[in-house]
Amino acid sequence: MKKCIKNGRGKNKALEMSRSFLFWLGLAFLFFSSCREKNTLEDDFKPTPYQIDIPFGFPTKLNIPEDNPMTVEGVKLGRFLFYDGRLSGRTHPDSLMSCATCHRQERSFEAGVDHPDFPGGFPHGLSGVQTHHVMLPMINLAWNLNGYGWSGFLYPENEMPYFRNIEDFVRLAVMAKDEIDGDTSRTKALIQSIPGYPELFRKAFGSEQVTFTNIGKAIAQFVRTLISANSRFDKYMKGEVQLSQSELNGYVLFTTEEGADCFHCHGGFGNPLFTTHLFYNNGKDSLFTDPMDRFLVTQDPMDRGAYKATTLRNIELTGPYMHDGRFATLEEVIGFYSQGLKPSPSVSPLMHHINDGGIQLTPSEKEDLLNFIKTLRDDEFLSNPDFAKPDKFPDED
Amino acid sequence: MMVIFIAALFFGSACNKTEDPENKAGKLHLYFQHEIDSVPIEFDTLKYTNAAGNPYLVTEIQYFISDVVLYRNDKTQQLLDAGEDIHYVDTDLPETLTYKLTDDIVPGTFDSISFTFGINEVKNQSQLFVNPPESNMFWPELLGGGYHYMKLNGKWKDTGDTIRPFNFHMGIGQIYDTATGEITAYVQNYFRVSLPNSSFTISNAEELALTLVMDVNQWFEAPHNYDFNEWGGMIMQNQAAMQTARENGHNVFNLLKNNSK
Ligand code: HEC
Ligand code: HEC
Repeated sequence: MKKCIKNGRGKNKALEMSRSFLFWLGLAFLFFSSCREKNTLEDDFKPTPYQIDIPFGFPTKLNIPEDNPMTVEGVKLGRFLFYDGRLSGRTHPDSLMSCATCHRQERSFEAGVDHPDFPGGFPHGLSGVQTHHVMLPMINLAWNLNGYGWSGFLYPENEMPYFRNIEDFVRLAVMAKDEIDGDTSRTKALIQSIPGYPELFRKAFGSEQVTFTNIGKAIAQFVRTLISANSRFDKYMKGEVQLSQSELNGYVLFTTEEGADCFHCHGGFGNPLFTTHLFYNNGKDSLFTDPMDRFLVTQDPMDRGAYKATTLRNIELTGPYMHDGRFATLEEVIGFYSQGLKPSPSVSPLMHHINDGGIQLTPSEKEDLLNFIKTLRDDEFLSNPDFAKPDKFPDED
Repeated sequence: MMVIFIAALFFGSACNKTEDPENKAGKLHLYFQHEIDSVPIEFDTLKYTNAAGNPYLVTEIQYFISDVVLYRNDKTQQLLDAGEDIHYVDTDLPETLTYKLTDDIVPGTFDSISFTFGINEVKNQSQLFVNPPESNMFWPELLGGGYHYMKLNGKWKDTGDTIRPFNFHMGIGQIYDTATGEITAYVQNYFRVSLPNSSFTISNAEELALTLVMDVNQWFEAPHNYDFNEWGGMIMQNQAAMQTARENGHNVFNLLKNNSK
């Protein structure tokens, strides 16, 4: 497993680009404002910084691009856009689609096995094309420094400028055949024409001119506020609640090498994100045919069949499981780790029970492990009104 | 205690530092290299054999060193970068293969250098590192908490020609009650590595570059033959195996003097 992408040294370039972009923007703005009379953009463009509070034990390093600082106005706009089906650039009721069509709050921002339009939790885009992989949860993404997507193909040091961060996911989602299947200029034009939006763009970015870049920035800002850190396990870590005996047994299994040994890849007390954001082959197959595994990004044959070890926070709600959704329930997942492992040359050495087919848990150990994993559900997050669909869209006032 | 003592010693010497331009302070930069049989490791390639005759490959090596101390030829010593003296090395992350110590070093001749492999019990506390990559080294609370000193991951071929993964992980050990299986005590497994006969000089304003070379085979060689077929693939809950590793660990590093910049 290789964590670093050796050719990726584009950070300064990104900075340079954003600087020169700002320079031109500044110049354009000077030119523009000299033609205007009063009420220049500069005067009343004072967005309020949005402060992310670091939860107990969480990293202090955040992945927030320098050219998109978090602001209260940006987050507010981003929330509207995240939920507004007109992000598809179309207004016919059948052609509305937004991020929230697939990313549902009550399912930790996945589709979930009970999605009304995606049977079994396998989403498809507006055109009917099914997504290549199943969903990833949209929680605590501001802490991911290694790469977004199952293969981590979007990462900050990427030499390709449009494949670096959540901002870029917005463009990809709008354009992708298997997602919104739209075009960015149509989306931009439609949003511009909706009363209320230009004013929100002015408050967030200093100009009523809707740009797709700013659409991406606003949505990314909103996504970065989606923080889940108040599960029963969090309260247990802070000494506020006690876990049941079965949950505690499960915790021991989770964090011991001779138990179930999940913590090396999925975290624990010392890494409460419950993911390392790293990529491993966890022993599901012996043959690898998916062209979009980690190998796609690193070209390292040892990354065949490797995917991101997703966070186990709220995992109870985010089936189906694994990149291809092969397991519908957590019971099946635990059954797999217990008895279903398949060896291959690229399997991670951290899967050290691979030759025994798995960790061989007894039925009561399986139940304990499951009960522990369920303590990672954060009900407050799942119903937090700040993350929910706004009551009214900007033109409905 | 020892740490405080050494730290005090260091602060004492730092205060006496002269401002003589002829005698400008030097710096120490450490580089890390990982070899088997004196050749840089080819990762994920089953081409190595340890002293016990186990064919094996290495996937990655991740570890901490801390408390770097220099021994001057006048028998005084200096602890470098007290307070910020834990360095993480990861063969997958090139930026971790350099450790630039920031403390000033009064020019002179040195007999040797030593460091802690792992982290001492004063500092090895859970949530000391909240950020990755260090946070990914956490050692479970139940097993003693703090951090892995090392994760050396790879695979070996057993006597039946089956390829098996090994996680040669070191950290705080546990003593288990044989009857109840309960943990009765924890064992600190960190150790000091001294590189005697490693004399070097630091001249005026010099940034001395030294390379610490880990020879992975040494973990499995002396004084004990470490046989994977005997110890198996996981040792976090096996103090006897970690004790063996620790005793072998004293010889795994040697020092290379680079050309100074
Ligand atoms: C048709 C359903 C669908 C829609 C609509 C959709 N997504 Fe996704 N999203 C997915 C799927 C499927 C994945 C997993 C992608 C993969 O294969 O890596 C995903 C992954 C992501 C991720 C990566 C999460 C991670 O942990 O790496 C982000 C960020 C994201 N989507 C943002 C958005 C945003 C923002 C929008 C709206 C502009 C959006 N998505 C619209 C289905 C959708
Ligand atoms: C070697 C690292 C590793 C270990 C050890 C490991 N996992 Fe995973 N886990 C992964 C990876 C990688 C994935 C995603 C694989 C994929 O999508 O194909 C995953 C996926 C999962 C998922 C599904 C996540 C989702 O969003 O679909 C669950 C649940 C899970 N693991 C639980 C566990 C449990 C419980 C254990 C301990 C018994 C464990 N894992 C041990 C690496 C690991």
